Amino acid sequence: MTTATVSRWDRFRESFFWYSFRRDKVAIISSLVLLLMVLAAIFAPLLAPANPYDLAQINIMNSELPPLGLDGADPSFPLGTDAQGRDLLSTILYGTRVSLMIGFGAVVLQSVLGILFGLLAGYLGGKVDAVLMRIADVQLSFSTLMVAIIVGAVFKASFGNLMFGEIAIYMLIFIIGVAEWPQIARTVRASVLAEKKKEYVDAAKVMGFGTRRIMFRHILPNTLSPIFVIGTVQIANAIISEAALSFLGLGMPETQPSLGSLIKSGFDYIQSGSWWITLIPGMVLVVLVLVINLLGDWLRDVMNPRLYKG
Amino acid sequence: MALLEVKNLDVRFAVRGGDLTALRGISFNLDKGERLGLVGESGAGKSVAAFSILNLVAQPGYIAGGQILFKGKDLAAMSERELRKIRGNQIAMIFQDPMMTLNPVLTIGTQMVEAILAHRKISKKEARDIALDRLQKVQIPSPEKRLDQYPHELSGGMRQRVIIAIALLLEPELIVADEPTTALDVTIQAEIMDLLLNLCEQENVALMLITHDLGVVSQVTRRMLVMYSGRIIEQGPTRDIINNAQHPYTRGLISALPQMGSPGARLFQIPGSMPSLKNVPAGCPFHPRCEFATEQCRGAMPEYVHSGNVDVACFEVAHRIEQETRMQEAES
Amino acid sequence: MLAFLVQRISQAFLVMFVISVIAFAIQDGLGDPLQEMVGMSVSAEEREAIREELGLNDPMVLQYLRFAGKAIQGDLGNSYFYSKPTLEVIAEHLPATLELVIGASLIIIFLSVPIGVYAAIRPQAWLSKFFMGVSTVGISIPVFLTAIVLIQLFSIGVTVTWFPVDTGWGQWLNEALSTEGGLPSYGRGDDLVHLFGTWESGFFSSDGWMHLVLPSVSLASIMLPLFIRLIRAEMMEVLQSDYIRYARAKGLSAGRINFLHALKNTMLPVITVGGVQIGIMVAYTILTETVFQWPGVGLMFLEAITRSDIPLIVAYLMVVGLIFVVTNTLVDLLYGLVNPTVKLTGKKA
Repeated sequence: MTTATVSRWDRFRESFFWYSFRRDKVAIISSLVLLLMVLAAIFAPLLAPANPYDLAQINIMNSELPPLGLDGADPSFPLGTDAQGRDLLSTILYGTRVSLMIGFGAVVLQSVLGILFGLLAGYLGGKVDAVLMRIADVQLSFSTLMVAIIVGAVFKASFGNLMFGEIAIYMLIFIIGVAEWPQIARTVRASVLAEKKKEYVDAAKVMGFGTRRIMFRHILPNTLSPIFVIGTVQIANAIISEAALSFLGLGMPETQPSLGSLIKSGFDYIQSGSWWITLIPGMVLVVLVLVINLLGDWLRDVMNPRLYKG
Repeated sequence: MALLEVKNLDVRFAVRGGDLTALRGISFNLDKGERLGLVGESGAGKSVAAFSILNLVAQPGYIAGGQILFKGKDLAAMSERELRKIRGNQIAMIFQDPMMTLNPVLTIGTQMVEAILAHRKISKKEARDIALDRLQKVQIPSPEKRLDQYPHELSGGMRQRVIIAIALLLEPELIVADEPTTALDVTIQAEIMDLLLNLCEQENVALMLITHDLGVVSQVTRRMLVMYSGRIIEQGPTRDIINNAQHPYTRGLISALPQMGSPGARLFQIPGSMPSLKNVPAGCPFHPRCEFATEQCRGAMPEYVHSGNVDVACFEVAHRIEQETRMQEAES
Repeated sequence: MLAFLVQRISQAFLVMFVISVIAFAIQDGLGDPLQEMVGMSVSAEEREAIREELGLNDPMVLQYLRFAGKAIQGDLGNSYFYSKPTLEVIAEHLPATLELVIGASLIIIFLSVPIGVYAAIRPQAWLSKFFMGVSTVGISIPVFLTAIVLIQLFSIGVTVTWFPVDTGWGQWLNEALSTEGGLPSYGRGDDLVHLFGTWESGFFSSDGWMHLVLPSVSLASIMLPLFIRLIRAEMMEVLQSDYIRYARAKGLSAGRINFLHALKNTMLPVITVGGVQIGIMVAYTILTETVFQWPGVGLMFLEAITRSDIPLIVAYLMVVGLIFVVTNTLVDLLYGLVNPTVKLTGKKA
């Protein structure tokens, strides 16, 4: 067992993937920053000086304290406090955690949907293909954000504010996942159409394998690299979508904030001069999305898959 | 003085991890009004040679050495500005695929008139008249109408006629035709080739005909070059080469022609295929496919030797000539 | 031409049908017209009678047909909040959104084409790399955050005091990095000119333009990087093509090759994508209008959601859906007209 893993590690180290990673400063820095942020998010309960969900720890007297380096800063709140007196560093750590969870969850969901529908459309063709791709077209022409806003609005209207707040995290994963499936489905379909022409699929057919087996065991593995590339970029998109929904009040409630809802709640105080409440979470969001996008660009260059254009 | 004199031309492609040599030591001459054939398999570097004559090698390719003397002036050393005065004006080019050559969103008229106006200070009206005249020369049906049509409204054959007309617009001295009929329907290939040849003869334009079709070259050119893997391996009078090819590769090419064998016999095929730019073998690039290959062929690149009127780069031929001269000397 | 037209238009109708079904489902699932009409004090029997009278007990298909029939006649019900026809409410808010979209589109067109073309022609120049880098960062900044930063910088203003004031360069740097602020960041201003119907325009006064600056820059910021990247990618592909090489072989000038031969071929696909993107911009108007309290349909829609104004939500969906479908269809037709290689007859070339 050990020898197998060692040789796999060696093979990885000799691979083009690793080679081009080591040569690309942007990729190295991006992945380090991302790793740092993911770790900080995972260990937020340990790292954060305070628990922003715990109302008992909040003192309204501490509200709108500026970050260190400005007049009136309090050393126990390095990034300052928000309007309710919550420690901004803690809320950002927890907020990043929520944003990443939703981003990752939404991409898992849209990948499952996208792979399933993309495989069906590409492999079965005909009417199934026509109907699925038509739906995808309409949804994309409406823009995924618009679809997400509408679905979010309908959910919010039907569940009511309180109920929606409690299950918001799952709702957002669902909304963004459903809104974004066409991207992956189209890519999978395009790859399937290309793979279908190849000999090994014919061979599998001749050997009498069933449709499902051919799709999942033979075609799917060969379409994984474009899914991987798109999936990476889609995490960034999902995080932005979540932030947008939360900013509109259709996402995470302020009691359980994501980066987007932190920006929203801080925005109300920007005119009074407390820019940090909205701009510091904003900066964190931009850095998070940027490093994921940069990694996505790098992956696309390295893997150079046939991406669906358009 | 020859119209075109190419001396020791090297063309390379700058790619990650070093340069690839596309053309190596290409040298040949072309006289006024002469027809020269350039043959070779696809990948031999024929097109690169064609484009390098206009100093138009596509990125990442570049001319790494040598001279391209056109009427004594070196195109390889010219500025883009000076080159522009020659391109399309004194040297015209005909591309392989007429479907891809014309800009799909501009009318035939626009694409003809702009070529004239790039080189002559005349009115649009006059330019249009010249364009019309050339379209009549290439025997296009209803030429007036064509000027206002878009390329996609014309058939492949008609488009190649248009391209020949564009080549003749400014009375050039040399036309470089890169496989001008390959992309066309078989039934009209001969027609277009005849048209091109007749017009070149009428206007006394030199023609460099690049093709993989040895049959065409043998019928219409006076002299020919044979390329293999970026090198000219044999050049001389067409008749001499066709009747008595020296290089094993040229011999293979000729015996692969259908009409050369007896009817019904199996066509000859040279075993193997041409190496790609990335892995050109050391020594003579043809040696892996050559039945006469020796240690010497694997080790070094053969120099050119004269065999009658023909220049050949082959050790086997060199040895034979050496033997023959020795025998002649011994006899005398 | 006719076959192409019929095909596109029937497609558009199909999409509109789907949208109307969704809108109907939302209205049926969420809205209870009875509650709005009669309140709580009505007995169950009376309610049932009214339901019967309104046709709320009819089969779904019948109810949908009634909904669609009214919609075609321009009747999408009354807004709960405004107590007047929803379409009227939308018509009042639409000009503001249109002017915002026009402002943003102008910025996008006048910046993306030159930058994209430059980056394609000189991919190695440091300025190209700078533009591409900025556009990568731009894609990563959500539109509402751009808006907030713009407000901080140009509306509120920033005073930098990082550098020592007593040195000349410190003072200079402080001043160079500080911003004035002062640009309006709220609404459209009072200086609007009535054009016709419900159209109150901000295009005819300096105050109106000032109010438009920050919102339209914010809205443009999301699409601009996409367009720069798209134009650059398309143009670079076109520059590789045979006909560009042939144009060079004809001895044409670089200007003519780049700006006529290459640009014309580049812009054709960009028009198609661009049309779709302008539709997508509608989604971003919701965010932009929320930040700037811009009184357009986006803000109206968001307020309708918080007020549970179901008829207005449904009407917005139908109208925005119609705008999307119409722009997409028009763009398709336009593409067919400007691109000579698309045969409108439907025959093969």
